Amino acid sequence: MGLLDSNRLLLVIYILAAALALFLIFTFFFQYIAAIGSIKEITAAFVTPRIVGMLWLSVASAIVTTVIAIILGVPMAYVFAMKEFSAKALVETLSVEVPQTFPPIAEGMIFLLMLGPHSPFGINIAFTFSALVIAKLFVCAPFVVSLSARRFREIKETGINLTARSLGANQFQVFRTIFLPLAARDIMAGAALCWARAMGELGGSLLFAGVIPFKTEIIPTFIATQATTLTTASLAATIIGTTASMVALVFFKRVTRRAE
Amino acid sequence: MRGLSLQNLAAGYNHTLVFTDLSLAVKPKETLVIMGPSGSGKSTLLLTILGIILPQRGKIFLNEKEITSLPIEERHIGYLPQDYGLFPHLTVIDNISYGLRIRGLPSEAPARKMLSLVQLEGYEKHKIQELSGGQRQRVGLARAIAIAPDLLLLDEPLSNIDQVTKAEVAMQMKELFKKLDIPIMVITHNHEDAFFLAQHLAMMIEGKIEQTGTIQDVVKHPKTTFIKKLLMPFAQTL
Repeated sequence: MGLLDSNRLLLVIYILAAALALFLIFTFFFQYIAAIGSIKEITAAFVTPRIVGMLWLSVASAIVTTVIAIILGVPMAYVFAMKEFSAKALVETLSVEVPQTFPPIAEGMIFLLMLGPHSPFGINIAFTFSALVIAKLFVCAPFVVSLSARRFREIKETGINLTARSLGANQFQVFRTIFLPLAARDIMAGAALCWARAMGELGGSLLFAGVIPFKTEIIPTFIATQATTLTTASLAATIIGTTASMVALVFFKRVTRRAE
Repeated sequence: MRGLSLQNLAAGYNHTLVFTDLSLAVKPKETLVIMGPSGSGKSTLLLTILGIILPQRGKIFLNEKEITSLPIEERHIGYLPQDYGLFPHLTVIDNISYGLRIRGLPSEAPARKMLSLVQLEGYEKHKIQELSGGQRQRVGLARAIAIAPDLLLLDEPLSNIDQVTKAEVAMQMKELFKKLDIPIMVITHNHEDAFFLAQHLAMMIEGKIEQTGTIQDVVKHPKTTFIKKLLMPFAQTL
């Protein structure tokens, strides 16, 4: 291959890379460009009771989801990292990887059947705040579990947990004094990703929690149902949602950079 | 008897036994170095005494108390792993006092005493990452003996020390050992390290203790040609 051919191929690679970067970055910034023309209406929409209400519900349900994800996810990560049991790989795949790749709308359907008006368990929490949290938890908790488990495994590899035990610490004390402090940043990073994903979760919430203003209506479900009719309000909601994700991402990057 | 006693011990991984009928004793104030090539079973032996691997047969006694099936944290063994196993999120003094704090015992004064014993006064608030290899090793040692253990187990304690300072570090360790009234067991594959530290030597080959005795005895009267070959470099120095 001649030098000229090699340079041309390199140029093609650069063009392809630039095309994808432009597509991704331009899409993100287009919301702000679109907002310029109707800045007054959008600013007004930010403070309407409905937008404020859905913002509150979105943030509150994402926070509750994240707290539950930490409370349940960190122990699960510890078990995955430390214990050997039969079918562990299968259990880990089903609990961590499958929920992340699961079609969220299908998840909403399953929850509606399992915990809806016709629940075989006699529990009906459909179209409530709890339904919002449960729908989000299913897809968001794995972020906490996977990041925490990865760190717990790294700590276990060093063997310092065994040294701590030789010094008299029981397994719970080792968890509290060694694993938790050393994995704190990774747990926080997992929580940030969990929160951002919870803020944007749509499919499960839409079907299982519904879109009831001031009760279960959140930013993504509002956009999904009102995008064609309430354009200005939807754009305002979109800007809030994407900005919240950006904030979480910046937090995640700061935390992981410090962890490195 | 006081000290460590292993009786007909058999241990290994899953269904493969690394050693099958191992008996050994280490008295208080005695430093026994278990030396052998890689794969000889010495690490498995250390993990079995420590309680990480449970033996399939045999018994372990420490000061006449059977500890064969006790959990690690109840064995009261001071352990220094090869990489010293220091806790990176704790300061030097917090590392040393860890075992005392976890037991709810007074920790500040004893930890400072240990720090002085390993000649690291002034390093209390230092982070582990700020210490040299030799200093880290001394912190690990101070932490292991701070709990006043019944046995000190050291895994390749000189392997991460550079060649220039190794003799000096070994000398300091031996001085420290003299102040302890407990049995000390060192595991190493390196004959030089073994000679630096050992009072008594046990040659472990393919899961068997082939020969034990003082260094002079083992070097001068090696039981097998393999042991003779292993110890050849030191035959002239004695």
